[in-house]
Amino acid sequence: MSKPVLTVRNLRVSIRSQDAPAMAVDGVSFALREGEVLAVVGESGCGKTKTAESLMGLLPTDTWDVQADAIELDGVNLPMQNEREMRKIRGQEISMIFQEPQTALDPVFTIGNQLCSIYRRHRNKNRKEATLAALDMLQQVGFADPRRILHSYPHQLSGGMRQRVMISMAMACRPRVLIADEPTTALDVTTQAQVLSRMTLLGREFGTSILLITHDLGIVAQYCDRVLVMHAGRIIEKATVHELFTDPQQSYTRRLLAAVPQVRTA
Amino acid sequence: MSGADRNLLSVRGLVVRYPAGVQSAASLTAVRGVDLDIPQQGIYGLVGESGCGKSSLAHAILQLKPVAAGQALWHRQDLLSMRGSQLRSARRKIQLVFQDPLASLSPRRSVLQTLVEPLDHFGIGQAGTGQAGSREEQASAALETVGLSPDLRHRYPRELSGGQRQRVALARALITEPELIIADEPVSSLDVSVQARIIELILELREKLGIAFLFVSHDLAVVGQLADTVGVMYLGKIVEQGAADDVFARPAHPYTRALLAAVPVADPDHPRPEILKGEPPSPLTPPSGCVFHKRCPEPITPCSTIVPTETSLQDSQTTDHRVRCHLWNSTKN
Repeated sequence: MSKPVLTVRNLRVSIRSQDAPAMAVDGVSFALREGEVLAVVGESGCGKTKTAESLMGLLPTDTWDVQADAIELDGVNLPMQNEREMRKIRGQEISMIFQEPQTALDPVFTIGNQLCSIYRRHRNKNRKEATLAALDMLQQVGFADPRRILHSYPHQLSGGMRQRVMISMAMACRPRVLIADEPTTALDVTTQAQVLSRMTLLGREFGTSILLITHDLGIVAQYCDRVLVMHAGRIIEKATVHELFTDPQQSYTRRLLAAVPQVRTA
Repeated sequence: MSGADRNLLSVRGLVVRYPAGVQSAASLTAVRGVDLDIPQQGIYGLVGESGCGKSSLAHAILQLKPVAAGQALWHRQDLLSMRGSQLRSARRKIQLVFQDPLASLSPRRSVLQTLVEPLDHFGIGQAGTGQAGSREEQASAALETVGLSPDLRHRYPRELSGGQRQRVALARALITEPELIIADEPVSSLDVSVQARIIELILELREKLGIAFLFVSHDLAVVGQLADTVGVMYLGKIVEQGAADDVFARPAHPYTRALLAAVPVADPDHPRPEILKGEPPSPLTPPSGCVFHKRCPEPITPCSTIVPTETSLQDSQTTDHRVRCHLWNSTKN
């Protein structure tokens, strides 16, 4: 078994409130292993997105209370309490892509501007080196004409193209971990296949482990290695993808599997 | 009996065109000549990728989008040329349900207020007689029809779950006693388990109340669960349509096949989805010939120059299975 890259022990996320604290994540523990694609599945409100956001240190501390026995990257505790230190981790060691790329891209800057700034800031490249690296990265996420994309603004691209740009930005620093929160939910099926295959391919090439949050069991079956099933803030089942589909242990998992609509074909 | 008589709605040669840009005379043709028929109590599933024109088509039927040409025959009268009270009474019988109920339901109105408004608007029941009780009863009955407790009538949309909100949106549509409901991506924002229950509800409404549906969705699996007839749309045209069983079992158009092959199957032993090359073309500059030819895995000579006409396939006795593709034009008969 390959070694864990990201280890989470007893993660608890609750909303700060005068009344009884409402737990969004209630004691979640798991390990993301080297080079794997680990799926987190569950229905809306099960805590899967809050788990991801808390790992990135993205939850505002005045509304959310995040506690954990350990959140370790390659065996070292993440500096969750230190925003300055977390900024170095974010993007470089752990990066994240979201459901709607439009909200994560700045509408007034070109793709080139946004992508090159990552190389200039985190990789100390000069303007020319950064442009070359950006062109190369765009090619790797499947753009046939990276130079045109470099000069485009986000609104000039389709949803699938924007999401591939997001992947190129998230993977630019070859992070240890990529957290992808419903990355294709807003996309069409044809584009979804394109985005997911590029993302998993790059993950393998760069040695980036992927935590893929999804509600789509078809995506789990086709693109992931292992699965965590979440329900009401807890992980109720951990399995390899094969085990999950052949021998689900929990009745909730079985119900979830039964609810998947299948395309009728001959 | 001719085909048009059996149909509740017959759309012929519908073209929807938007002005493109404030200062230019250019235009964007979102729907380029669509024919479709919806029989009484039928469920027509319209599928396609975002930007293919499926919502424009659905909304244009109610004159909510600029129609440049074509007809939409409703009880043998053209909906698209109706005005005033005639249009209003037709619209009472054709109701719309949208994708995001949180956006389509007013946040400031209680469920009851939302449900009563169409009754007032169309003057249904005892308008102005001060018998508020009967209105409330009608609203409660509509809630029960969609499987909600009438106790929810004093709630506001934000106090309901996504599934409950979409049921309220359906109840609002039902309260005018429609014959056809145009549902534009009604389950796309819901979890699969909630989706499944809304789909059951739609089938039940068709069964019990005899309502027909034009069901617009990008999700083939969802459409496959409820539609009798399926139309696959690409860049403003229906490239394939027929009985759902025929289209899913024997997809004829390469685009339909690509769409089906792109769905990830919830079975780890199944091969990974195939990837369709390229991006959908811009409707501002549609490709020549067959609009799909640049992405088609099996283009032949005429595809890039000649627009394919519609060919009927002889694979089903019940419903016409038609495809716009040169591969079928050339092998006809």
